[in-house]
Amino acid sequence: MGGGFRVLHLVRPFLSFLPEVQTADRKVPFREKVIYTVISLFIFLVCSQLPLYGIHSTTGADPFYWMRVILASNRGTVMELGITPIVTSGLVMQLLAGSKIIEVDNNVREDRALLNGAQKLLGILIAVGEAVAYVLSGMYGSVGQLGVGNAILIILQLCFAGIIVICLDELLQKGYGLGSGISLFIATNICENIIWKAFSPTTINSGRGAEFEGAVIALFHLLITRTDKVRALREAFYRQNLPNVTNLLATVLIFLIVIYFQGFRVVLPVRSKNARGQQGSYPIKLFYTSNMPIILQSALVSNLYFISQLLHRKYSGNFFVDLLGKWKESEYGGGQSVPVGGIAYYITAPSSLADMAANPFHALFYLVFMLSACALFSKTWIEVSGSSARDVAKQLKEQQMVMPGHRESNLQKELNRYIPTAAAFGGICIGALTVLADFMGAIGSGTGILLAVTIIYQYFETFEKERASELGFFGF
Amino acid sequence: MDAIDSVFDPLREFAKDSVRLVKRCHKPDRKEFSKVAVRTAIGFVVMGFVGFFVKIIFIPINNIIVGSG
Repeated sequence: MGGGFRVLHLVRPFLSFLPEVQTADRKVPFREKVIYTVISLFIFLVCSQLPLYGIHSTTGADPFYWMRVILASNRGTVMELGITPIVTSGLVMQLLAGSKIIEVDNNVREDRALLNGAQKLLGILIAVGEAVAYVLSGMYGSVGQLGVGNAILIILQLCFAGIIVICLDELLQKGYGLGSGISLFIATNICENIIWKAFSPTTINSGRGAEFEGAVIALFHLLITRTDKVRALREAFYRQNLPNVTNLLATVLIFLIVIYFQGFRVVLPVRSKNARGQQGSYPIKLFYTSNMPIILQSALVSNLYFISQLLHRKYSGNFFVDLLGKWKESEYGGGQSVPVGGIAYYITAPSSLADMAANPFHALFYLVFMLSACALFSKTWIEVSGSSARDVAKQLKEQQMVMPGHRESNLQKELNRYIPTAAAFGGICIGALTVLADFMGAIGSGTGILLAVTIIYQYFETFEKERASELGFFGF
Repeated sequence: MDAIDSVFDPLREFAKDSVRLVKRCHKPDRKEFSKVAVRTAIGFVVMGFVGFFVKIIFIPINNIIVGSG
């Protein structure tokens, strides 16, 4: 490849301009890693609460309502973009590298640096693009109302926040923290959402007078203030339009089910070819691709919603636009629209069992779509992310590992018996759990709970490894 | 029937593979499950309340900021 033109080289001139976190030049103690992680999290949380300066209003319909959970995004705050720029650029680079559109040799230091630089540059460009799109689309009031000065101010704030998130994630990735910033921010956002729905002290006025938003707070409040305890209990458990205790219990149930399935794995024995013949194992989890299928499926659906809403707003009545989706303002307020027709409607979870009974085709279509999409995304993801049977076999070979009882050339074949099936079936299980969670009305949506639990699970695995190596260090 | 077979054969094969995979899987026992559940629940609650308290603290702060703005 000497002298050949390579796409990655286009990035080289920009490297010196990109903000960069120095790679840790020493072993960072576990306690310091925890501190860095907590500080990063705190910075993120504060940004999620800081209101944007200069915005006129945020009362318009929110086209991103459906995917704020998985993108750690908060309406009307500095963290409006959430982790969208970094996730999008990461996915794009992964797809480009995985499908060989971009040639990357991971054994060459420069290639890795260029790839990281390209991803960061792309993230910044996406942040700029999204910030401009937000302002021009009238998310914060029309540009005429805002004035050019405020519009530019808003764009700068959003871009700055996007860059902060990129740097925080890099800080954690470069060895200063635990795990990845993306996972940390998503999980915290979801956990916060669920805890908030359970314990929120804010009151909302409904037909029955002022009610507490938090399910647990409302339960105690109703029991204390109502003379009819039985009706108070029923109200707390089944009230509409606000979080209730049944939602909370459903959330806990999904939580436990996910944890149980996390433990499913096929353990393949492996042995080192070196003189010591060290014995080990390579586990293939049922959830082989973890939460990627649900992330990709949610991203697909959210983008479809976004496009459909835009088209509906401008060209409603057109046959193809209506085929894609028909929308109307939610009767429960909050400013978001709900799909009532077209493809967008059929890929939305039925809102209740009664809704399912009224339109069984909708329920069936949704179920099949959910399971199929998750299985396909999962199967595809192992190829582009370098975790297919072929890639794993290659890694094990490079590490001089063999499987007892199998010749080296059969390693890939043996892995092929499990990995593709685990990916596809695991994807289906993820989809099924999400559907189950949504039907049961779990708080935070099925997608959110799955993401949070799988991320926290991974964090504990990381913790175990870090502490093991720490003790090993002291053991010397 | 060939058309139907060509559709259902892969599905049947996949179902068989999936069943074999699940049977082959090591499954967590009660002790293992409890340990993981408790630890994950703790992580969940800690993360949730950290976010919760930041949010609680910022409600009055935001009222001041936005009110004066």
